[in-house]
Amino acid sequence: MTTLGRATLDSAVGPIEVHRGGGAGPATLVYLHSAQGEGPGMALLENLADTRQVVAPLFPGFGDSEGLVHIDDIEDAAFHVLDVLDRLDLAWCDLVGSSLGGWMAAELAVRWPERVRRMVLVNPVGLYVQGAPITEIFGRTPSELAQELFADPEYPLAQLMRAMDGMEADPSLVPFELVRPFLQSQAATAKVGWNPYLHDPKLLGRLGRVTAPTLIIHARQDGIVPREHAEAYESAIPDAKVADLEGAAHLAALERPDEVATLVLQHLGD
Amino acid sequence: MRFFSFHLMPYPDLPPDYDGPAWITCPNELFDPRLGGELYNRYIDELVYAEELGFDGVCVNEHHQNAYGIMPSPNLIASILARLTSRVRIAVVGNALPLYDPPTRVAEEFAMIDCISGGRLIAGMVVGGGPEYYSFSLNPAHARERFAEAHDLILKVWTEPGPFEFTGKHYKLRYVNSWPRPIQQPHPEIWIPGVGSLETLEFVAKHHYAYMGIPYFHINVFERMFAMLREACQKEGYDADPLQLGWLVPIFVADTDAEARRRYEEHFWYFVRRLLPGINISPPGYTSVRSVENIMKNAGTFALNLDSWDQVVEGQYAIVGSPETVTELLSANIERLGVGNLLGLFQLGTLPALDTKQSLDLFATEVMPKLRASFPGAQRPEVPASAPATASS
Repeated sequence: MTTLGRATLDSAVGPIEVHRGGGAGPATLVYLHSAQGEGPGMALLENLADTRQVVAPLFPGFGDSEGLVHIDDIEDAAFHVLDVLDRLDLAWCDLVGSSLGGWMAAELAVRWPERVRRMVLVNPVGLYVQGAPITEIFGRTPSELAQELFADPEYPLAQLMRAMDGMEADPSLVPFELVRPFLQSQAATAKVGWNPYLHDPKLLGRLGRVTAPTLIIHARQDGIVPREHAEAYESAIPDAKVADLEGAAHLAALERPDEVATLVLQHLGD
Repeated sequence: MRFFSFHLMPYPDLPPDYDGPAWITCPNELFDPRLGGELYNRYIDELVYAEELGFDGVCVNEHHQNAYGIMPSPNLIASILARLTSRVRIAVVGNALPLYDPPTRVAEEFAMIDCISGGRLIAGMVVGGGPEYYSFSLNPAHARERFAEAHDLILKVWTEPGPFEFTGKHYKLRYVNSWPRPIQQPHPEIWIPGVGSLETLEFVAKHHYAYMGIPYFHINVFERMFAMLREACQKEGYDADPLQLGWLVPIFVADTDAEARRRYEEHFWYFVRRLLPGINISPPGYTSVRSVENIMKNAGTFALNLDSWDQVVEGQYAIVGSPETVTELLSANIERLGVGNLLGLFQLGTLPALDTKQSLDLFATEVMPKLRASFPGAQRPEVPASAPATASS
């Protein structure tokens, strides 16, 4: 396990928080987080950093990253990620994205395919599939969401979310400092994903432009994104395949770091 | 002191076995159109009656896809009121600006109501409730900036000669040129309702508008909210006028305190337990994190958490009693809150027509005159000289 260092990167929309570190490897691995805003101290990244240079930028509105005011939709998000790659001097990279971050990775890869060598999408949102809707994440109680996000109800974050349920009646139940990141990340997610709901109607038709060999990881207990979405990505991206992960849910990247790391490293050819 | 009769137009007939929210997903097969027609007409009559009783104004508001208030278009009701009344102010509190695209529609309809009523419109503008952002699939993270931009556009429509071009972030209009224009110049009085968002308080103070505190919180919350507004006005370099402050509160008057409670309590609980659930949903990005923190401090006192009548009385969630009791409680609170507008909710929940009328009668004859004598500060609004004849005049 290799600890990542925290740094601030000046992006076009404002200073953003970046976690970075690790070895050399054939290409820098860029990790785009989910709507949970995971990254700091994350086991998956520390594992990958044993063999790779890993960079995990936090999207505006998450952590200490600023500039959300300049981002209105997924188009702005894609240009922001491009801007970050430029400022990191990454002519190309291996791109790993979870959920919301998987969507952003795909939006980047259809516009600038030459910037992505290989790509892994973990339970990505981003597509609309008739008859297989993405579960509503806004306006739900934290405990309901926790059931869909995590396979293990005792995972620490799942426990915290359950504790947040009673806050409407008694705000003192959970310190506001622990609630603040949830509010911020939900607001940032709403900005790009409220309507159309967590998808871009134009993305599917553009996926044929992706040149990177792509692995889509689908967690079998994902309560948010049905498997049909992984299949839609697989059919539309020229070189793509789906890997199913047993015993994992939507936030598999957080909850099952070892299995996800193994799949990622296999796909990247390490 | 100005007195307004406010109507939410609630749906009183949710079946006893329905225990879901009254908002967003409340199945619309529960709405009986024939009953709906009767309710609209009855509720309009109750508002018109307020003029006869000597109120200064009537208030309507906008909510969508819910049983709490079946008035998705308050402008329709306000235009009927404009025709059926001749003296009262008609306060639309308000139009949810981000839901109108383009919002020039609001400038047009408000100008129509102002013309029809002879200049009696009070133009309320609101961001829209949290549930509306679900009901309209409208991005809540854009709510504040859409509201601000729509507001600027509407004011420009009313105060600058058209045609002109408007190029904002959310609205791009090449030919803005509203027919009609409002009678009131430079524009109708503007009210902003709110539950304590810092952004809203600062906006009201900056523009010298009036702020209407929405009920369903402990009276202490209103005291803090109005103190924050006064502070925000002082930061803008002036002292808030009492007419800039409005307190919206359910009121019921009967001959004795015991009778008032006996006739009112079940209707109040229908409102709290059946119609409020779901109203308090706060979509992501709808208010800033600093505002959420502030509002959460008050969350414990939200009426949804009430479970005994003693709590209702202690927190003054509703002012219920004999004329003497109601006069006393309202006087004390008007004094304490420093408000120049009292917005009474006389019909609430399932309260039937007869009870509503009797309470209004007692309020108008036994309470309002005493309060007017105690708080002579603000005069009744005058009807502009240009007021056209209306049906009831």
